[in-house]
Amino acid sequence: MTISPDDIVFWRWGLFSLNATIVFTWIVMILLTLISWLVMRRLSTGTKISRWQNLLEVLVSGIRDQIREVGHQKPDKYLPFIGTLFLFIAVANILNMIPGYMAPTGSLSTTTALAICVFAAVPLYGIAYEGPFNYLRHYIKPTILMLPFNIIGEISRTIALAVRLYGNIMSGTVIVAILLSLTPYFFPVVMQLLGLLTGMIQAYIFAILAMVYIAAATSAHTESTYKKY
Amino acid sequence: MSIDWITVSAQIINFLILVWLLKRFLYRPVMQAMDRREQHIFEQLDDAQAREQKANEKMQYYLEKMNELARTRDEILAKTQEKAEQQKRQLLDEARLEVAKVREHWQNQVRLEKEELLDNLRHQVSNAVQGIARKALGDLANADLEEQIVHSFIGRLVSLDKESRALMLGSSDDSAEPARISSAFELDSGARSRLTRAIHEHLIDGIDVKYSKSPELLCGIALTVGEGQLSWNLADYLEQLNQHIENVLVSTTSPEKL
Repeated sequence: MTISPDDIVFWRWGLFSLNATIVFTWIVMILLTLISWLVMRRLSTGTKISRWQNLLEVLVSGIRDQIREVGHQKPDKYLPFIGTLFLFIAVANILNMIPGYMAPTGSLSTTTALAICVFAAVPLYGIAYEGPFNYLRHYIKPTILMLPFNIIGEISRTIALAVRLYGNIMSGTVIVAILLSLTPYFFPVVMQLLGLLTGMIQAYIFAILAMVYIAAATSAHTESTYKKY
Repeated sequence: MSIDWITVSAQIINFLILVWLLKRFLYRPVMQAMDRREQHIFEQLDDAQAREQKANEKMQYYLEKMNELARTRDEILAKTQEKAEQQKRQLLDEARLEVAKVREHWQNQVRLEKEELLDNLRHQVSNAVQGIARKALGDLANADLEEQIVHSFIGRLVSLDKESRALMLGSSDDSAEPARISSAFELDSGARSRLTRAIHEHLIDGIDVKYSKSPELLCGIALTVGEGQLSWNLADYLEQLNQHIENVLVSTTSPEKL
């Protein structure tokens, strides 16, 4: 039984292997970009808008509101990163109900890649917000003794982020596979439905946690500044 | 559960590309569209507010104008009513005056007509009575009317009471004028001598008597001595008749009965 889409290799060239994870990621990317491009091609700035534009606007403004609520900051700066995390994971998980499709989020490589992105984004946003010196000072607070623990905490939460998403999606796939062999008709459908739900929840959790980490790095003294917005 | 680090790096690149793609094709246009719409809505709201304010101002203006109009209308109405009342009063006064004038004119006319009628009547009746009396006397006693008048006058002269006689005599002594006999008809010599004799016998002896004719006596004879006068005249009877007719006319043609 194939558990990870990494194991399905379509093409290999030297060390690089074109596996299902990358292919399905591309499919998700193309799908998202294509839908965005098609809808935004006929963009309306008036009060009459198409259903698809309305859907995308609701989605984007919903993400912005969530970022604002969690981060207590102006959301525009974080929208591309957090929004893309949510949309990519959500679409990758929803497509899981198509037969033959394997969610790239079911691969630990993908979730690790995403977690590394968050891992990198947190200090980048922090430094961009406070400057490198002020940001790095957080690691030695309250005393320099806390430095190793802070670093360990940073790394461990990144790993937790990666494993949580991977475990949830992979387990869903595995459970469906096991149930298919035991009770082929009814339960897999229920599990697929459940999979859709957990897929959406995971996308939400991943994006929210990423925002929480970024907010933690930038909100050392944002309570007062946020009031400006 | 293995991590393929080449796939991981590929996925990182994929993710970053997706971030760029979505930023380019989704977030930016959506945000711009929303901002523009928001701005548009704000503009519309501002515009609506401005219009509302303008409308309110206009409403206020028209309300004031309406009140002013109502006030002016009331004033004009009151003035007009007063004027109409005044004019009515004036017209009524004029009408009353006119009516009074017409009535007076009409009453004058009636009076004149009545007088004319009475005058006519008097003459006609006098003529008629004269004719009738003449004829009746002629038929009954074979007597002449003038003769009878002279006779009747002498009878009256004879039967004068003392007071009247004294009155006439007194006036004759003062003036020493001749006695004047005036009659409506020409007196013949016989009648004249009878009359002169009667005056001499019963009134003043030897007084000069002059005769004259005066048609207004209406078939009668009058004797004037100084300021005293004695007469027998059909006009006296006619005057009574006239009075009677006049009374009847007044009672039938009085304005209350018209």
